[in-house]
Amino acid sequence: MSNVSQVAFGRGSRIVLNIYMLIFFTYMFLPLILMVAAGFNEFDTPSVTVWRGFTLKWFGVLAEDSRMWSGLVNSFIIAFAVIAVSLPLGLAGAFLVSRLDSRYNTLIYGIMVSPLLTPGIILGISTLIFWREAGVSGGLFTAAIAQASYISSYTMLMFMARLERQDISLEEAAKDLGASHLQVFRRITMPFLKPTILTASVIALLQSIENYNTTIFSIGGDHTLVTEIGSRMRFGLSPAVNVIGIIFVVITIVCAALYVIFREREKARAAAIAG
Amino acid sequence: MNSLLRSFGPYLTALIVLLSGVWVVGMIVGPQLIMVEQSFWHLDRGGVAVNITVQIDNEYNEVDFLSFDKMDLEALAPSAERDMKIAEIDAVIAEKKARIADLEAREVIPEKIYSMRNYTIMGGSHLAIFIKTILASVAVTMIAFVVCYPMAYTVAKLATPNKAALIMLGLIVPYAINELLRVFAWLMILNYNGVANFLLGLLGFEPVPFLESGSGVFIAMVYAYVLFMVFPIYNTIETLDTSQIEAARDMGAPTWQIHRKIVLPHAKPGIAVGCIMTFMLTAGSYSVPYIMTRGTVEPWFTQLIYNKFFESLNWNTGSAYAFTLLIACVIFVFLMMRLFKVGIKDIAK
Repeated sequence: MSNVSQVAFGRGSRIVLNIYMLIFFTYMFLPLILMVAAGFNEFDTPSVTVWRGFTLKWFGVLAEDSRMWSGLVNSFIIAFAVIAVSLPLGLAGAFLVSRLDSRYNTLIYGIMVSPLLTPGIILGISTLIFWREAGVSGGLFTAAIAQASYISSYTMLMFMARLERQDISLEEAAKDLGASHLQVFRRITMPFLKPTILTASVIALLQSIENYNTTIFSIGGDHTLVTEIGSRMRFGLSPAVNVIGIIFVVITIVCAALYVIFREREKARAAAIAG
Repeated sequence: MNSLLRSFGPYLTALIVLLSGVWVVGMIVGPQLIMVEQSFWHLDRGGVAVNITVQIDNEYNEVDFLSFDKMDLEALAPSAERDMKIAEIDAVIAEKKARIADLEAREVIPEKIYSMRNYTIMGGSHLAIFIKTILASVAVTMIAFVVCYPMAYTVAKLATPNKAALIMLGLIVPYAINELLRVFAWLMILNYNGVANFLLGLLGFEPVPFLESGSGVFIAMVYAYVLFMVFPIYNTIETLDTSQIEAARDMGAPTWQIHRKIVLPHAKPGIAVGCIMTFMLTAGSYSVPYIMTRGTVEPWFTQLIYNKFFESLNWNTGSAYAFTLLIACVIFVFLMMRLFKVGIKDIAK
């Protein structure tokens, strides 16, 4: 299994490795640093080569941007719809695949994870066409459905991973003692899945809000925060977009740090239990 | 089915099957099938239809003129002759309206013809863009593998736990920041008056039109999707027992042999997933070409799909283009599964 000990290696390769890491992380972070810096530049197009002095005014400009705010509201409406759809669907799919003993199992599983392997724009397009047949044109509804079609795959995989570790005998015992199926589901299965329901909701929320490619093809004339950011990058570019970048970078760093700390703690605990 | 019933009883089983069915049929298979169906027909209005449209316009004009005549008559003093003329005009208008209705009925039902036309009209220039998109996506995938494999191995096996956690943080942050913003950062660098051209100017070079030539798209693609290769490979290398590497080294195996014989074979499922994700995201990306192109170049196939749907409003041809892209991705998935000898269960984890 996973091993805490690391492979020993020589001094020469250590130098090569350090140079490689330096280049890699410069490549990863320099563009982001430039983007953040331009958000504080007085100059009215995003730039770091023309520096007109430090300012915070672009934060104010962004705060007064009503389309951004309405986009944010739409993003959350879609995200909550996606959570409401993809949790039950993912859960049902996970139960079906992990408990059904049929030779079609692999096929069903394959179909259920296929949205993860399909380009997002195709999910958007096919949803748009499908609902047009039913007389529904593109909007927040189709965007939410299109997103849910693949986010359900994520939630299903998360529920499946959890169910793999479930001790079935607990359910069997409860039934032997006379509990009904519904009671077993409510008292044993659901409490066991509770942590996953929480994490799956968070993942679904983040995936939904972040999404661009699927959304832009299925949302019709409406907009979300991210599609609005996209159109600003092409038309009407201003450092207010950089300010959004700054906000996203800060949120991401905080979340990622929390995640890594949490993960390390779990690892340490697992190592402690193992001995 | 029996095991499902035993676990959940009839009601919950019915609910589970129903929800799964709605998802699989109503949200995955159904929409795809309708898209594919739509890609195989087009509406043919033909020459006759154009003729009908002209006729309808004429009739409408005549009706308008007759209405004016009628209004003139109505302004006159009432008389038997006037009423007769008005009645006459009314009769003609009614006749013409009936004709219009008949023509319009014929006009709105263009013929639906099933054919391969939506695929065959792609033409040389669009086919070239399709091939360019696929080849560029393969190139991005290969670059991502070369760049990311050492990083994944470093985090999993070489770094001390604390350092590994720090590197992990350094990987997650750029990975999790919204794709549009990461691309935007490169827009600032590659813009005509961006950082890259500023530096080139300092060195005495002419500015390079990255965005107008399409090269900006490729550069930003690599940056946007390179990290999708790291995590799958890291996850598989992490499960490799370090003592295997130690043992090989003790027996005198050179580093490249250790990777070729031990680490790479073990990491196969992760490499397959990384390649599939990177290729799929790159080939299917709309955001990167949308932001990173200026002027008339349309270097990416997804842009053609978007234009078919939302600019020329030809959904049938658009569906054919989308299905072509989907087929390319499916072929790539199966190629990777063959190449790395992994199943669908290993891929989606």
